[in-house]
Amino acid sequence: MSEWKRGDPLQRNQPGGRATALHRSIGLGSAKAGASHWWLQRATAVALIPLLMWFLAALVSHARAGHAELVAWLARPVTAVLMILLLVAMFQHLRLGLQVVAEDYVHADRIRFAVTAAIHGISYALMTAGIFAVLLIALR
Amino acid sequence: MPERPRPRSPDVQIYRPQLTSVLSITHRASGVWLALGAIALVAWLIIVVAGGRAYAVLESFLGSWIGSVLLFSWTLALYYHLCNGIRHVAWDLDYGFELRSIYLSGWCVVAVSVLLTGLTWAITLNMRA
Amino acid sequence: MLIRSSKQVSHWHTPKRFPVPINSDASATSRTEEGKTWPKPANLTRPHHLRIYRYDPDSDHGPRIDTYTINRDKCGPMLLDALIKIKNEVDPTLTFRRSCREGICGSCAMNIDGTNWLACIRPLDEVSDPVTVYPLNNMDVVKDLVGDQSHALAQYTSIKPWLRSSTPPPTHERLQSPEERKKLDGDYECILCFCCTSGCPSHWWNGDRFLGPAVLLQAHRWLVDSRDDVTEERLDDLEDPFKLYRCHTILNCTRTCPKGLNPGKKIAEIKLMMQQRRG
Repeated sequence: MSEWKRGDPLQRNQPGGRATALHRSIGLGSAKAGASHWWLQRATAVALIPLLMWFLAALVSHARAGHAELVAWLARPVTAVLMILLLVAMFQHLRLGLQVVAEDYVHADRIRFAVTAAIHGISYALMTAGIFAVLLIALR
Repeated sequence: MPERPRPRSPDVQIYRPQLTSVLSITHRASGVWLALGAIALVAWLIIVVAGGRAYAVLESFLGSWIGSVLLFSWTLALYYHLCNGIRHVAWDLDYGFELRSIYLSGWCVVAVSVLLTGLTWAITLNMRA
Repeated sequence: MLIRSSKQVSHWHTPKRFPVPINSDASATSRTEEGKTWPKPANLTRPHHLRIYRYDPDSDHGPRIDTYTINRDKCGPMLLDALIKIKNEVDPTLTFRRSCREGICGSCAMNIDGTNWLACIRPLDEVSDPVTVYPLNNMDVVKDLVGDQSHALAQYTSIKPWLRSSTPPPTHERLQSPEERKKLDGDYECILCFCCTSGCPSHWWNGDRFLGPAVLLQAHRWLVDSRDDVTEERLDDLEDPFKLYRCHTILNCTRTCPKGLNPGKKIAEIKLMMQQRRG
């Protein structure tokens, strides 16, 4: 974001920098990838619309529930399955979304790679933990 | 004599905030905030499994003012991100790109998210009362 | 207030800029300072003030904001008329690009009151007093309001904006039906003023790799041209997380286009083409 952190697009006086503005804008060429990331982000978004509506309605209707009532509700097969679907869709959507945020604002290549890897790793870890918790309740 | 580096013309410092850019950055901010909410959701599930004292502590935290503020902010972020997300999916399907539609849908998203948040909290507080 | 066209300027008392410090993220070379206030003309019947970004590469100073006053009663209706009047009568060193004075060449694109527009078709009645005039955003400033567009133009060249055909040239024209020609509407009218690209926040943060709305609009123009045979290659060249997919449909581009074009929509169509070929 900050000017000195951004690469100078003209890359003047850089050792090993490419010669003309045209070469610099071509860079290393096109990755020929990105369409599947875009699609998965939208697919999880659309899946989340009904799942979140169900989840919000369920939370509001259980606003006065105590611990035992909550566990009983979560243990029901339909609730457990919908919760797992919600966790999967939510964490996939957030993994891809945060990756895009990292790509936008982190410009140093190595740091961006590390941050993106951390985002993917932590999202999968949390998703697995959430699914495991739901299964523990439902299968006990 | 070394060439003096040219200054970069200012961008975010002087660009006028418009509905387009403001709603877009709010969509991103709400998404990042909701990501933290998702971590809280998993924590909530784990504490429900743990039960007992851990759950009692969680319940009292959620009832406290700081817990309520957090829950309220996550509700508002969720409704806003959901409504604006639907607007984004419409754009991805190539609908609603006329300038008039962009502005109309934008104001609708703001109004509906605020309304839904108010409605949800009115119902919830009413039930808990 | 419902925006019906980009001609409308918001007259609400909304903030004119995001509340960030005016010199945030500016390196020492880019920091702007308050500059000179130039003398007012005599017999000032209808004053209008202009705060204009100035930078002189031959001096030792950094960029500054100078304040000018002109008499609206002795000036043409457009902002470009005011700039030319200042250059003629007050300060001949004021430097800006201009040519057609009718909104078709794209030379006088600049940031006026916070949004990008062409100075020759921005009436002085529709700008505030004082009006802030900056060069197009996120460009290296050559002098005053003239930005270095070489990177943006290089990005335009990189999409190979010419007809590429696998068939030998025909003896007559390459024929195109009216329906096929209609697909180019909304693309060919672009005057490459770069108002949209310099107003795109994604281009601010990733302009070295993100092509930007103007270039992507032209990429779309060649993708939908029925006479062009290398659509697959063009789509391959565009499918990149940075070149195309830094577009997050922020839509500052559509909001600011002085020709009423819709780059955001055309980019969405490119993305749909990307999905279409995946089945």
